[in-house]
Amino acid sequence: MNKAFYITAGELAGAGFENVPDELVSSRHMIYSSPATLDFNSPGAKGFGVKRAGLAVPGSVMLLVAPGCCGRNTALLNELGYNERFFYLLLDDTDIVTGRHLTKIPKAVKELCGELDYTPSAVMICITCVDALLGTDMERVCRKCEEAAGVPTVPAYMYALTREKRLPPMAGVRRSVYSLLKPQKRISNECNLMGYFAPMYDSSEIYELLGSAGIKKVRELARCKTFEEYEELSRANFNLVLNPEARYAAQDLEARLGIPFIELVRMYRIDKIRNQYRLLGQAIGAKLDDSQYYEKAKSTIEAFKAKHGELTFAVGECVNADSFELSLALTEYGFKVSEIYGTVGERNFVFIKKLAQLSPDTKIYSNLSPTMLGYEREGDIDMVIGNDARYYHKDIRGVDLNDEAQPFGYDGVIKLFEALDTASGK
Amino acid sequence: MKKLLKYISPPAPDDSGACSVLYELGGITVICDAGGCAGNVCGFDEPRWFEKSSALFSAGLRDMDAILGRDDKLVEKLARVCEQVDAKFTAIVGTPVPAVIATDYKALKRMSEKKTGLPCITVACDGTKLYDRGEQEAYFKLFEEFAVDKLPTVKGRLGVIGATPLNTGLTEAGPIIKSLKEQGWREVVCFGMDSGLDDIINLSACEELLVIAPSGIKAARLMGERFGIPCKTGYPILDEELLKKAGELRDKKVLIVHQQIAANALRDRISGCEVICASWFDMIEELMQENDTHITGEEQFTELVMGGGFDVIIGDISLKRAVKGFGGEFIDFAHYAVSGRMRKTET
Repeated sequence: MNKAFYITAGELAGAGFENVPDELVSSRHMIYSSPATLDFNSPGAKGFGVKRAGLAVPGSVMLLVAPGCCGRNTALLNELGYNERFFYLLLDDTDIVTGRHLTKIPKAVKELCGELDYTPSAVMICITCVDALLGTDMERVCRKCEEAAGVPTVPAYMYALTREKRLPPMAGVRRSVYSLLKPQKRISNECNLMGYFAPMYDSSEIYELLGSAGIKKVRELARCKTFEEYEELSRANFNLVLNPEARYAAQDLEARLGIPFIELVRMYRIDKIRNQYRLLGQAIGAKLDDSQYYEKAKSTIEAFKAKHGELTFAVGECVNADSFELSLALTEYGFKVSEIYGTVGERNFVFIKKLAQLSPDTKIYSNLSPTMLGYEREGDIDMVIGNDARYYHKDIRGVDLNDEAQPFGYDGVIKLFEALDTASGK
Repeated sequence: MKKLLKYISPPAPDDSGACSVLYELGGITVICDAGGCAGNVCGFDEPRWFEKSSALFSAGLRDMDAILGRDDKLVEKLARVCEQVDAKFTAIVGTPVPAVIATDYKALKRMSEKKTGLPCITVACDGTKLYDRGEQEAYFKLFEEFAVDKLPTVKGRLGVIGATPLNTGLTEAGPIIKSLKEQGWREVVCFGMDSGLDDIINLSACEELLVIAPSGIKAARLMGERFGIPCKTGYPILDEELLKKAGELRDKKVLIVHQQIAANALRDRISGCEVICASWFDMIEELMQENDTHITGEEQFTELVMGGGFDVIIGDISLKRAVKGFGGEFIDFAHYAVSGRMRKTET
């Protein structure tokens, strides 16, 4: 058994993005579905994969049209109360070659709608790799379903085969769940936060900052309890996109409903957060005074450091953060990051280059590399961040930073250090 | 509709079954998928994933790999893993993706063996069939490939086929071994559970084979033909609490729903009742009694229960959702391949 492959931040930055080693590029090796990262590798397994995310529209149900294997782990979602909203049309071996199942879908939708004791707001038709390969025109099939059942029907593409394409499954499903919105009169002091399938923490300063700029109503899909509330999303004057995977959906809303959007990024470096709020203020024509939140975040970090000293962290990728940006933040705050388990991409390579200047010896692993089967800790680590990091270091204190409620801005930073302080046991 | 599931989740698929058999044998197993199938196996159908490590990987196929049929790329990746992970053999398990593009598994086997120098097993799953088919094919291919030399028979040695979590709800062979030793066997080997490839290579030394799930019968028959090893069926690990509840039944019409050999074993322990066994999975014709039924879908299962006049159903409690109108007693007989629940009983 080989040792787990890693490369230091200094070596990786020196090599450049064009020369990322094969072991860090998932398309060039077998993929290890590490117990540490199962939800990452299976689009329907845990958290908000396509299946659960597709049911973000209140009152909707989902028909999974696929071989039985694609729906198997949906049972995991039963514990969360989804079993009343999932239905399956199983494909047999002839279906997957001939595509004859397409003619059965409208009948199935009609039958399940007829059996429910309520009329669903929408039926999401979830299709998988089989239909990706068959080139199914699911938009057309959905129109047939609407005619048959009289219920809006929308496709949700769980195409694992296209994960690295321009429109990966989690971007596609975001478009799907906003696609039922219809044009209506927009209200100048209302906006939406887009990007997540669970609400942001109520304590995030973004709500107060937007309020100070005259925004009276901030809506999120995840807070919509009824379809009527969902429909109000199209009243927004603008959308704030907090996760790049929602960009495509925001572009679609801009094109269809004329709602412009502004992209923000979740970060853990407070100076960058401050800069981002300044730019947001400029974009919406208001001055956002974030000084009190900035000072609180800064003092929280300083207090943590004074209490615990220059801790050494291991940072995973199953976190509500970009693991490289978070590692850079920790390093800039004066801590050490000895190991990162993450996926190197063009977008986060900029953080790696900066990290290489401050902490060139930080080891970068890929959770998906088969060599991680033989992972063993080599150096000293004081605390870990992330579900995956905690899996590798069960004996070390740490935090998951993977709640469904989403952290953002200074509030996210404060919550992280408070959680670390609690987890330290000191 | 026949293929529509409105109340229950799909049972474990064939690729999960194949991986379940291969899991502990020390090979490199590659699920020929884009990632989702491997996630299903590792995250749901394989409870050992968090207890015992295994070199089980996803091929990480992408659309162009499938469209262009890049088998050479798959074999390249496999060869690379073989350099990184110690293994005695490789195994390639199919999914819907290779089924759609009609992957030539024989060619894949030849290419892999040539490139890696290791024997390669291919299991042509397509994700549309159920776990027992995948298990059956995996057992058969393994035994066909590796159980080839006749060794002297070891008196008192019993080989058990079918010991997978999907069949038994167990992740360790201890309870099976304990039960069979209490029956007088000196040495018990559960192929693929707490045992490795060497036990399959040395299979011919077994005095007898015990098949505890229908998925093992085809491989057992092969061993009978090849080495003359006698084979029996039985399920030695019926839960005590379940046996107690079943034993108290009198003058009832009972439906047992499980994998056939477990269901039959329970039926043998019930007296004074009319008992019918049914299974979502393949049933061995010789082991079926009059009125025993193979369940082909949720609709048929509902009709069977509602029209059968049963007083008691013994089956996985997750099936209860499909028979809401059933007014009789429902006794839980957990089946991991149905609900993903480990072995236990509750009413």
